[in-house]
Amino acid sequence: MLERVTRLGEFEWEVPTGTVPGMRVPGRFFLSDSLYKSLESGAVQQLANVATLPGIIRYSMGMPDIHWGYGFPIGGVAAFECDTGVISPGGVGFDINCGVRLLSTPLTIDDLGHRRELIETLYQAVPTGVGAKGPVRLSLGDLEDMMVQGAAWPVRQGYGLPEDLDHCEEQGCMAQALSQAVSAKAKQRGMPQSGTLGAGNHFLEIQVVKELYDPGAAKAFGIHPGQICVMIHCGSRGLGHQTCTDHLKVLEGATKRYNIVLPDRQLACAPLSSPEGTAYFGAMAASANYAWANRQMIMHTTRTVFEKMYGIEYESMHLVYDVAHNVAKMEEHSHEGKRIAVCVHRKGATRAFGPGSPDLPSGYAKTGQPVIIPGSMGASSYLLRGTTIAMERTFGSTCHGAGRILSRSAAKKTINGAKIKNSLSKEGIIVRAPNDAAIAEEAPGAYKPSAEVVRIVDALGISNLVARLEPLGVIKG
Amino acid sequence: MSYEELDHTADIRLKVRSPSPDSLFAETALAMMKIVYGESRFGEVERTIELEAGNTENLLLDFLSEVLFLSEVEYLVFSSAIVNISGNSLRALLTGEPFDPERHRGGTEIKGISYSGFSIVKEDEGYVLDILFDV
Repeated sequence: MLERVTRLGEFEWEVPTGTVPGMRVPGRFFLSDSLYKSLESGAVQQLANVATLPGIIRYSMGMPDIHWGYGFPIGGVAAFECDTGVISPGGVGFDINCGVRLLSTPLTIDDLGHRRELIETLYQAVPTGVGAKGPVRLSLGDLEDMMVQGAAWPVRQGYGLPEDLDHCEEQGCMAQALSQAVSAKAKQRGMPQSGTLGAGNHFLEIQVVKELYDPGAAKAFGIHPGQICVMIHCGSRGLGHQTCTDHLKVLEGATKRYNIVLPDRQLACAPLSSPEGTAYFGAMAASANYAWANRQMIMHTTRTVFEKMYGIEYESMHLVYDVAHNVAKMEEHSHEGKRIAVCVHRKGATRAFGPGSPDLPSGYAKTGQPVIIPGSMGASSYLLRGTTIAMERTFGSTCHGAGRILSRSAAKKTINGAKIKNSLSKEGIIVRAPNDAAIAEEAPGAYKPSAEVVRIVDALGISNLVARLEPLGVIKG
Repeated sequence: MSYEELDHTADIRLKVRSPSPDSLFAETALAMMKIVYGESRFGEVERTIELEAGNTENLLLDFLSEVLFLSEVEYLVFSSAIVNISGNSLRALLTGEPFDPERHRGGTEIKGISYSGFSIVKEDEGYVLDILFDV
């Protein structure tokens, strides 16, 4: 598969049509020489598979954190024309609207005493890991409201500030949500889990702003050197997982009914205008709204902990932004000289809308949207901004993280979680997790260097660097 | 239990070998429990699953999804599974213990069972399953 790849530029590579039968457009991905060395054949195969889907326009794209997933590659972006295109859960994933938010505080590194106590308090306050129950058990009515209102639901209940909503992608709510398309089983899983972090690569991290690359944009985002911030990474929990499972099955039947031939079952899909496609889109949007509400609840808990421990005002902690990185969205983009409506799938990719784009709050209209790129555990995270180049080249998209290079099993075999915890502790980074294996799986060595991934997106101009944040402490599921 | 973990960058990919479809289904469900919860003890709690699907592959996908669902919503960790497949229908008796945060937090959450690379092949010595869990 890799032998079919051709190089187009310093960071740009093409997978030509014909690499797998039925490709409608070529594949394009963005990598440096050093990251190309770790590219798996499976990721290229998946990029080519996506190019066979009906209605895809321009390219099947891979961001610099591209790696082998299921269905779409991770780091995959594809846009489908609304009237001829399809929607596929393989382009969103099981964790619908897995995403990241960044909360700024008025504290600086010198104010942050009792760091170990802070991490322990957060670990006790934010339910993490397998089998965790949320701080509030929702009634079915509450859950229905949450799926329709998204982040606005917890804000109305007192778990946040109205200004938080402006600083979420889509204002924390997709209006197309159809809670009736979410199964009873998914709702049953969702009711006890609101406000829980989950497991795997999900985390809550205390960070310090270490370096500014674009002081003007940083000022607009309310970020300054030495400032303490909190990054929260999680998704739609069991509700989203079950929604994907349920609709994947329905869409597999639909694929056959609409005579769509697929190279991978996980790419099961249906025309966007079909009843099956509409139902999945509505259920996915409802799950995305649940995820925004979930991150809002966790941020509320975090603010409360900081308020009590450091005597700062709840209102002095601002949400910088919240981005989704597993989602499909209806958007308008330029294509062949015309503005057209498309459904953009981002699977492990972040929206990076540039200056003047719709859906940006007035404070970010000139800078473009904040783009939040978490590093792996112990590594730098980055704040970037969306660009006009992203709007022109990648349907307003960029990378979502560092991207794995080592499998979880290989990481567990070769990396000792306890040792990692100790060495991070020596660097001043406190890690709190339910077990050491969870630390080994997510160890820095299992991921591509985040600095290299953001260097590529910055050089390409599909998002531009604003600030670098360094970890001080992390809680993991 | 006869399964091995295959390489996959982001998720968990298993190859499971078993003499019959019944034992293949049971072993895969227990492998999944081990991934999520780590080690568990035998318990007294019983749950039954009855399902029908169009073919053996879909029967297994539905069965595993149902095990995940039951385990999550009822906070149960299953350590034994007896599966009886007849044509395209299945009856399974699962036995386990209630989730205990002190002992069952040694694993990682499975978000879903992927259709990518999913196959059941009959070989001379029995059945071989390739399966990918999103974690």
